[in-house]
Amino acid sequence: MYNFHPYSGGGKIILALLLEMGRINPSDELRDVVYKCTECGACAVSCKFLNTLEPLEIIMKLREKLVDAGYGPMPKQQQYIDSVKKNNNPYNEPHEKRLDWLPEDIELDPNAKVLYYVGCTSSYRREEMAIATAHIMNAAQIHFNILGKDEFCCGSPILRTGDTKTFKEFLNKNLDVIESKGIETVVFSCAGCYDTFKVDYPLYRNYNFRVLHIVEFFDDILETGHLKLTNEVPLTVTYHDPCHLGRNAESYEEWDGDVVDLMPLVSINMPPKPKRTGAKGIYDVPRNILKKIPGLKFVEMERIKEYAYCCGAGAGVKSAFPEFALTTAKNRIQEAEDTGAGALTSACPFCSTNLQDAIKESGSKLKFYDINELLLMALGLETKALKKKMVEAA
Amino acid sequence: MALDKEILKEFVEVVGKDNIDDGEIMTNAYAYNWCMEIFNYMEGKEPIPFSPIPKAVVLPSSTEEVAQIVKLCNKYGIKFKAQSTGLGPWNQPSTDNSIIIDLRRMNKIVKIDAKNLYAVVEPYVSGAQLQLEIMKHGLNCHMPGAGPQVSPLASATSMNGPGFTSPSTGHSARNVLGVEWVLPDGEIMRLGSLGLKNNRNWYNGDGPGPSLRGIMRGWAGAKSGIGVFTRVAVKLFPYPCSTEFKLDGCSPDYDFDIPDFMRVYVMDCGTFKYLEKAMLRIEEEEISFMCSFMSGFAVMAIFATSIEDLMDKMAIGSMKVPLVVIITARTQREFEYKQKVMGMILDEMKLNDIIGTLYTPNPIFYAEALRSNLGLHGFIATGGFQSTKGVCDTAAVCLRSTKKNIPMKKKYIKKEVIANDFGEGHWMTSYESGHYFHVESPTMFDQTDQSSVEGMAEYMEASNQMDLLKHLGAPFFVEGNKLHKLFGPHMSNYHIWLRKIKQAFDPNEIADSGFYISAQEESKEKS
Ligand SMILES: Cc1cc2nc3c(=O)[nH]c(=O)nc-3n(C[C@H](O)[C@H](O)[C@H](O)COP(=O)(O)OP(=O)(O)OC[C@H]3O[C@@H](n4cnc5c(N)ncnc54)[C@H](O)[C@@H]3O)c2cc1C
Repeated sequence: MYNFHPYSGGGKIILALLLEMGRINPSDELRDVVYKCTECGACAVSCKFLNTLEPLEIIMKLREKLVDAGYGPMPKQQQYIDSVKKNNNPYNEPHEKRLDWLPEDIELDPNAKVLYYVGCTSSYRREEMAIATAHIMNAAQIHFNILGKDEFCCGSPILRTGDTKTFKEFLNKNLDVIESKGIETVVFSCAGCYDTFKVDYPLYRNYNFRVLHIVEFFDDILETGHLKLTNEVPLTVTYHDPCHLGRNAESYEEWDGDVVDLMPLVSINMPPKPKRTGAKGIYDVPRNILKKIPGLKFVEMERIKEYAYCCGAGAGVKSAFPEFALTTAKNRIQEAEDTGAGALTSACPFCSTNLQDAIKESGSKLKFYDINELLLMALGLETKALKKKMVEAA
Repeated sequence: MALDKEILKEFVEVVGKDNIDDGEIMTNAYAYNWCMEIFNYMEGKEPIPFSPIPKAVVLPSSTEEVAQIVKLCNKYGIKFKAQSTGLGPWNQPSTDNSIIIDLRRMNKIVKIDAKNLYAVVEPYVSGAQLQLEIMKHGLNCHMPGAGPQVSPLASATSMNGPGFTSPSTGHSARNVLGVEWVLPDGEIMRLGSLGLKNNRNWYNGDGPGPSLRGIMRGWAGAKSGIGVFTRVAVKLFPYPCSTEFKLDGCSPDYDFDIPDFMRVYVMDCGTFKYLEKAMLRIEEEEISFMCSFMSGFAVMAIFATSIEDLMDKMAIGSMKVPLVVIITARTQREFEYKQKVMGMILDEMKLNDIIGTLYTPNPIFYAEALRSNLGLHGFIATGGFQSTKGVCDTAAVCLRSTKKNIPMKKKYIKKEVIANDFGEGHWMTSYESGHYFHVESPTMFDQTDQSSVEGMAEYMEASNQMDLLKHLGAPFFVEGNKLHKLFGPHMSNYHIWLRKIKQAFDPNEIADSGFYISAQEESKEKS
């Protein structure tokens, strides 16, 4: 069903051309093809090995066009957007419950310059990620704060399904709050929020704080010796690169050059225009962390870094086309199993959910841990739930 | 026009509802192809990048399904056009009474016989996929200059076949062994040793009885005009050098160590006469992995990864008649021997190798050569290109064709309709250690600019006329009734025989022959 050419990046460029030339019109049929894509960006990496094509940007523009024409997003995705507008999160959860994940023993510092932006998925669905992150921050004696009721959806699920107007509202809401607090560094355990802040926000509005994914932050702390990993974690682990932390987490570089005609029909950019190739994704940092965990054996999958397969959940696919999301994740699980690893880890709550769904669905024996959970184990700070998972794994 | 509901139902019974689509979006998307505008213009149509819209697109998963689809086409008088990886205008239907059979679900490497040096592949296996798997056995395959992303099956059975490694890996037409072929009436035919009654296997393309390989594809391939090829065995070769690589970093800036035993030479031969002598001399020694003549501009391009990246390679660009040779070996001793021979030839002919002195390539160049990706570097300047010329003959004929082409090309460069390569943009390679040669003139134009499209088309037509008048051999793209009619009478009336083949295999014209020849002369199919 997903095999026809228009489901590929190249095929979507053709759809955009057809639409521009008026050979097709927005329709439900078109919407179905355009939204069956996780916007993982693998097509863009391949296209930019030698060329300058931007299939991912074209896919995002196609969605924007469909939204403007009244065809996008998919009904399920619209429900998420409506919920964000109403509850500040896509899960139809009350805003007041945003802090329910927060354990009582976590120490926050209202004057901290470091902000942990938790995100909707870690707050409401993958609480273990938020809990692990907060515990490690405390263990490393980092003064940090969270936004609590002032935290709103980062807008990623809205942007990626094409509703740019609503996205801008949430971008402004978040930036206004963070800037008003004099924050210097914002850290994220959600790769999706991180990518949105780092890559997409500056396209609409600049801001004056530093953004880091938590793996970057913790790796620095491990390097400087502020955190000591003392406990053995006797697992063979493979790592899944989230698209939002890997190939898509590459900022746009400003270019203020000219297009110079070299000769008729041939022009060049002077100075050369930086290409977003996916090479500057966060690839080595999570691997460094895993390699520092005592007793842990790290093994690689066949497709990694800029060529990693997507987990299948992104850009609204999990909500609108759950079967498609699961099929994609099962592929990745098979690849993870082929390494001989007993555990799979990653650094994104969407990947976490979808890969765990696929583990269950395919009857795999793999155990999934967020990378922060592995760190927690190495620090000897396992939560009850984590202990239970470890016993099961053993 | 979509398929009639009842007919659609029958197709659905063959492939399942998820694998056929006759909706507006899919059929329109499949009507697009790269460079279609130029072929439209040449046929007096609007120069847009779209062919007639197919009635439906079907995705079969097996030979049996292909055969049933073709039988349904026969039953209802609908034409079909098969695609493997599907890039290029030759994949497009020539009429709106055609379906497209997109073979992308047939994507398996069926067999690797490392001992007998062949692999059996389905249509949607790319050269890159095959190369990766056979490398594990220390083996390599031939790939066309189109690059590692195209289908070895399509190249072997249906279209062209020259590649950058042709001196050592030949031509696709000469690398085909057993073939599984769904004829235009839906019958399944097996060629070569695959057709044996007992102990059938893939190892040989000929016999029993007369070989049908020539009928199947000839020089340029039938481009889906004579049925659908579903599995093919292709010859394998020893991997040219060490298969142990060090590769770090990310796309596109890999950190690659030149593998053991590989070396590139670039020399300026100064004149075509001397180039001919040098190529023949080097090829006589059977030492090259690659041996190509290209313009200075093209040599700059194969070493570059972007147009901006061309700028520091001017030392190459100023070369008059550059020759690029790569030698490879599997042992140190073989490597030393080949370098010694190459050194002797360079001394003997007083040729200077500029590598390491005037220019040192980024090591990734060697990886690109090994994976047959150099051709794609040639097209970093603009998006549209077509080749004129394409003669396959002696080095002397190829170079005569080149010489004649330069002033003609310059005329169109002056009109600013094609990109300026000083008229010198040609690619000539030897095959099988100088057994024969081929030259073509890749020419870049702007597909989005109507005057460029028109100018390129006029240049292609003028070049064809010149090939005929000056006896420069048949160009690559002699396809469709109009061109066969033009060239046939000058070439032993081959077009009459080609038509007889079409008539014998496909009297009802079910296999779309827009890029082949129609069974009936009066057919309105393409010309
Ligand atoms: C930039 C560029 C450079 C190129 N350089 C070269 C070159 O150096 N050497 C060279 O040989 N060619 C070259 N080509 C032409 C062409 O791409 C190649 O010949 C290629 O090998 C075809 O393989 P494919 O997978 O692209 O086949 P497709 O594009 O899918 O098909 C090619 C033709 O064969 C037919 N066909 C495909 N599969 C089947 C099948 N299973 N059964 C029946 N008919 C079939 C199609 O209808 C089409 O007419 C180049 C093309 C491009 C775009």
